Amino acid sequence: MIDGVTNADAIPALERLMQFAGQRHRLIVNNIANLSTPNFQPSDVSISDFQQQLGQAIDQRRAQYGASDGGLALASTDQVEVSEQGMTLHPQPVGNNILFHDGNDRNVERTMQSLVENFMTYRTAAQFLRNRFDLINTAIRERV
Amino acid sequence: MYGSLDISTSGMIANRTRLEAISANIAGSDTILNQDGQYEPFRRRIVTLAAGDPSGNSDQGVHVASIDLDNGPPMMKYEPDSAFANADGYVGYPNIDIVTEQMNAMEAQRSYEANITAAEATKSMMSVALQLLA
Amino acid sequence: MPDPLGLLGYAAGLNRTGPMVPLRGGSEGPAADAPAGGFKQMLQDQIDQVNELQNDAKHAMEDLAAGRRDDVDSVMTATLKADMAFRMLLQVRNKVMDAYEEVKQLRI
Repeated sequence: MIDGVTNADAIPALERLMQFAGQRHRLIVNNIANLSTPNFQPSDVSISDFQQQLGQAIDQRRAQYGASDGGLALASTDQVEVSEQGMTLHPQPVGNNILFHDGNDRNVERTMQSLVENFMTYRTAAQFLRNRFDLINTAIRERV
Repeated sequence: MYGSLDISTSGMIANRTRLEAISANIAGSDTILNQDGQYEPFRRRIVTLAAGDPSGNSDQGVHVASIDLDNGPPMMKYEPDSAFANADGYVGYPNIDIVTEQMNAMEAQRSYEANITAAEATKSMMSVALQLLA
Repeated sequence: MPDPLGLLGYAAGLNRTGPMVPLRGGSEGPAADAPAGGFKQMLQDQIDQVNELQNDAKHAMEDLAAGRRDDVDSVMTATLKADMAFRMLLQVRNKVMDAYEEVKQLRI
């Protein structure tokens, strides 16, 4: 019963997305701090890989539980290590093939874009998560 | 999340150090005497950045690895009447190019502002997560 | 008078010419056909409908999280519709419970 409340609806998927966006924020901020560091390689994780893993876990959950809800079993990849409480990212260097004189691979515009996109993803996931929790709260409280 | 603020702050500190070195270079671009009055042309300060943050024991962020003095030859100007002229009548002046220093200053300022933007994003993310409870 | 759940004409047993069609010309009211299973059956239908809306919203949200769709606006509207339907049903349920309590209090 409690499991049906804590793992209800889209909550596990949104939770994982929020964790991923939160961890990725650190990577992007590190890239921004090292914009002027010589011989620095900006690093990032692959979003499409993570979303593919998440999609597979969601499909597996739908097939396994059907109408009711259960936990989401997200598999780890070499870039995203998943544990019960959260996840750890192992980023790879992303080169742009354009090297400046100081050996830095920077791309300010793309980095800023990733910062904004990641932030919006985090915020969207948080808003939806709050909406789901509010709904369950409403049902428990029996007060609209 | 607090780690992200540390990273941005280290970036801001490193870039501010760069700007201070550039200000020192521009101010000293015509100085040929040191503080004791001896003849010693001002040497350009070069700030080298490196990844990692030893003060915070983290491998993310950036810090100033070293501040070196430029070992290049001074810029020679022909002033035979000067008290500091050498045998050929040349006086050595600091080899500092104002335009280069200004370009470096613009880049350092841009990096500083980028770090501020990143810190603002971190703050917004923290408050969004807190709103989950309210 | 708008009657999304089709309760008015049904509960009062009035002669109705037909349900009020909403301005946008959407599907007819859920009680358009002759009431066959009684109030219980109608309530069950409403619950099923709300459940379906909630499942749609859940499906849409999960697809958005997994990157299979990128239109946040339609996920938002699906969620809002599902929530609205759920709250409506909850209120109906509360009123029914209140009515039951009141009936229980009747002294014969």
